[in-house]
Amino acid sequence: MKTFQDLVLALHEYWRDQGCVIFEPYDVEKGAGTFNPATFFGCLGPDPWRVAYVEPSRRPTDGRYGENPIRLRLHHQYQVILKPPPPDIQDLYLGSLEHVGIELREHDVKFSEDDWESPTLGAWGVGWQVWLDEMEITQFTYFQQMGGIDLDPVSVELTYGLERIAIFLQGVESAFELLWSEDVKYGEIWHEKERQFSIYNFEKADVERVRRMFELAEAEAKACLEAGLVFPAYDHTLHCSHLFNVLDARGAISVTERESFIARIRELARACAQGYLNLLEERRARVLA
Amino acid sequence: MPEFLLEIGTEELPALDAPVLAEALGKFLSEALTAERLRFQKLEVFWTPRRLAVLVRGLAERQEDLVEEVRGPAITVGLDADGNPTQAALGFLRKYGASPADLVRKKVGEKEYLFLKVRTPGKPAREVLPAMVPQAIRSLPCRKTMRWDSSGVAFLRPIRWLVCLLDGEVVPVEFGNLQADRITRGHRFFGPRELPLSSPGEYEEKLREARVIADPEERAEMIKRAATRVETEHGVHALWSEELLGTIIGALEWPTPVLGEFPADFLDLPAPVIAAVLHEEGKFVPFARDGEPAPVFLGFRDGKEDEKGYVRQGYERVVKARLRDARFFFENDVKKPLAERVLDLKGIVYETRLGSVWDKVQRVREICARLAPVFGVNGKLLDRAAFLCKADLTTEIVKEFPELEGVMGEVYARISGEPEEVARAIGEHLLPRTRSDALPESSLGVALSLADKLDTVMGAILIGEVPTGSRDPYGIRRAANALITLVLRKKLVVDLFELIDAASEFYPELSGRKNPEAVKKFLLERLRHILRDDYGIPHDIAEAVLAVPRGELLGFLERAQALSSLRGEAALAEVAQLFERLRNITVEHGNTSFSPELFQQEEERELWREYLKAEGHARRALQERDYVAALKALLPLGEPIHRYFERVFVMVEDEKIRANRLSFLKALLSLFLEIGDLSKLVT
Repeated sequence: MKTFQDLVLALHEYWRDQGCVIFEPYDVEKGAGTFNPATFFGCLGPDPWRVAYVEPSRRPTDGRYGENPIRLRLHHQYQVILKPPPPDIQDLYLGSLEHVGIELREHDVKFSEDDWESPTLGAWGVGWQVWLDEMEITQFTYFQQMGGIDLDPVSVELTYGLERIAIFLQGVESAFELLWSEDVKYGEIWHEKERQFSIYNFEKADVERVRRMFELAEAEAKACLEAGLVFPAYDHTLHCSHLFNVLDARGAISVTERESFIARIRELARACAQGYLNLLEERRARVLA
Repeated sequence: MPEFLLEIGTEELPALDAPVLAEALGKFLSEALTAERLRFQKLEVFWTPRRLAVLVRGLAERQEDLVEEVRGPAITVGLDADGNPTQAALGFLRKYGASPADLVRKKVGEKEYLFLKVRTPGKPAREVLPAMVPQAIRSLPCRKTMRWDSSGVAFLRPIRWLVCLLDGEVVPVEFGNLQADRITRGHRFFGPRELPLSSPGEYEEKLREARVIADPEERAEMIKRAATRVETEHGVHALWSEELLGTIIGALEWPTPVLGEFPADFLDLPAPVIAAVLHEEGKFVPFARDGEPAPVFLGFRDGKEDEKGYVRQGYERVVKARLRDARFFFENDVKKPLAERVLDLKGIVYETRLGSVWDKVQRVREICARLAPVFGVNGKLLDRAAFLCKADLTTEIVKEFPELEGVMGEVYARISGEPEEVARAIGEHLLPRTRSDALPESSLGVALSLADKLDTVMGAILIGEVPTGSRDPYGIRRAANALITLVLRKKLVVDLFELIDAASEFYPELSGRKNPEAVKKFLLERLRHILRDDYGIPHDIAEAVLAVPRGELLGFLERAQALSSLRGEAALAEVAQLFERLRNITVEHGNTSFSPELFQQEEERELWREYLKAEGHARRALQERDYVAALKALLPLGEPIHRYFERVFVMVEDEKIRANRLSFLKALLSLFLEIGDLSKLVT
């Protein structure tokens, strides 16, 4: 596996062959691939659903001004959802690692307990972090709840950390040294962005304005929900979630405020989930995309 | 005799849960077999991250017959005048296929009845087991459960296969969508995916051939042996913890050591930083040489030797990258002396209503100023330590490894040239974090820890964040438990109530603010739990001593221990029984000053004389905190009190005499209350 993009293509290939819809990143800012509607809505309801996609994930607090080899404000997740999960799901997952060129019998792969939850999405699941030679490469989760709703059937979410796997495969020490393509380095595309966004998130974001933006997005989400427009409401919920993350990175949120911010976003997510299920009942949508 | 094997095959179980579940499975089956009258000789438990198994040897072919005595009609109904069975008795016999000779007579209470011994023949084991197995699985105490398929069954992690064998036969068991079979699985990477078993007895050996060590003890031995080998070969000492060992045993089916090294130039990093890196990145065992970190670490791969050295390379790369990060943080951190960081704490919100961490530090300093004279420590040094104790929150290392809070404060204080006692106190001020954690050793560390914890608890409760049920967002229960543990285990004589009253002015005036009494009440409530759980104080004794609220918490424990040690004494029981009367009669009376010349009866004077004697001894003993001696001085009062109540009528018409009697009894009561409300004792 030579380049970062080869890695993505290989995963696309593998999961396409497993019957996944190969989806695209969703064009609204978000902290993880889980927030993509293909996962959030796709996990709800009774219909089978298999999807895979890359998700550029923004985490303002993880920014390091481009100075840390692996800690990034924006990293790329490869996200797979399998609903319902097949009984050999662990083997399928391990097969994907072999497919991208990791020789499992020459390395050390461990499934180490890690239960995932997203208080903002009202979601939780049970699973592992997968460690390759003691480097974390994947979050493997059996979702039990999404948007506060018990899932039936449950879904498995696989979230690969693409930079980490690429670092392993290319034998380099920093994400910025990765080859994105044969002649373009990861750092050439991302380094300056990491620096600028770190400055913005940690130092420059105008707390008052961002708070106002949060409130506007929240109001807009509520208005959409009242109009029965679930998908636009969800977009604004995603804005809220990201703006909250910016405020958090800026150090503008106290312990108690944090709880109430999270509760506000969770309420929106719940309402979106419920609205989506109502849609399914009325048979107006099968899935989401 | 038959052998029985049950194996529950799972996806990877959390390392520390698997042994708990395996033990529970063994216990359930052992009890269930016994309850089902299926004898067995031996029951062995095995587990790995992917399986829980029980092997029963010498199992009976069938249940023992069940012999029950069944009650029939009463004699008066069942036998006629000549002692022959009536129609009623014959009907009873027919039901069980017995003859009149089988009848026996037996008395139940006043009445005599006819009884039959009824024997139900035991069923074969293979008929009993199918129902038992699903019950066993459902009985396992999962900390958290999940669903994974359409059957809706729940467990800690997905169950993917079941082996259930009675000798060579599969026992027909169903659980969720699974049916038991004879096929287990080998090691995920180095064994066959399907491994058929022909009999239970070959379980361990077959798995071993398939690169799985089913016995956790054997895996523990392999791991410890590998560490010992490193110790001898490298002249180092492994830094084990129970948790680290448990995690490694629980994560691997065939532990294979991989020794890694990191460049010696990282050794200039503080030891706790190196340990934090090794603990965080996977489960590496750190080593020390002559008390200093050594540049080697031991990891464990599952399955097979790392022949090509790829795994070692991977481990070393991960450790090196993290050490490099840590060094980068550390070198940045030391550029700014600790004292210069304190002002930055104004930028860290502690709690919206309680202000910034800087504000917290100011309150801790105020509390310390009041504690220094109580503990006889150097007030200036204590204040310096309090001033600096949170400054490490602004350092990169602590942001990266939050568990190093305090520890890094100590390191940085030393580098910044602070006095040794100050550095030490900072390093100790978070101890104990829990009821079982290590305690601070230096006297400054003890005082600072007490002040910090008291502020945490007080702040949260004053703003109304009293924990309810499982909701405790500020971790106040844990903080209060740690505070009380500190007082009790370090035997600190300090009146926390005084401290709380004195400090309450430093907390912001908020609408809806709770008053300091709520803090006191909360601490006593936690103390009640700790006395019971950590010191085994019986409930009634805890209630007796806690009936009189005090801020000096150590005294409660000492009083309770004194009461426990005198538990069997008759005199204590007698006093306890009189106590309620003493308390009730004086409940409306406030005064304790009385005049002996107003005493009218001999019983009054006798009790007074005994009281004078007891009081002197008791007060002296109380002062010396010798509560056993104090109690022993008070106990002889039981008899004269008893006589007093027999002969003296307290509530006489004459108001003066009545008041005098009540005052005397009240004084007596107050003396006893120095120990506690003895009426709470269950005698």
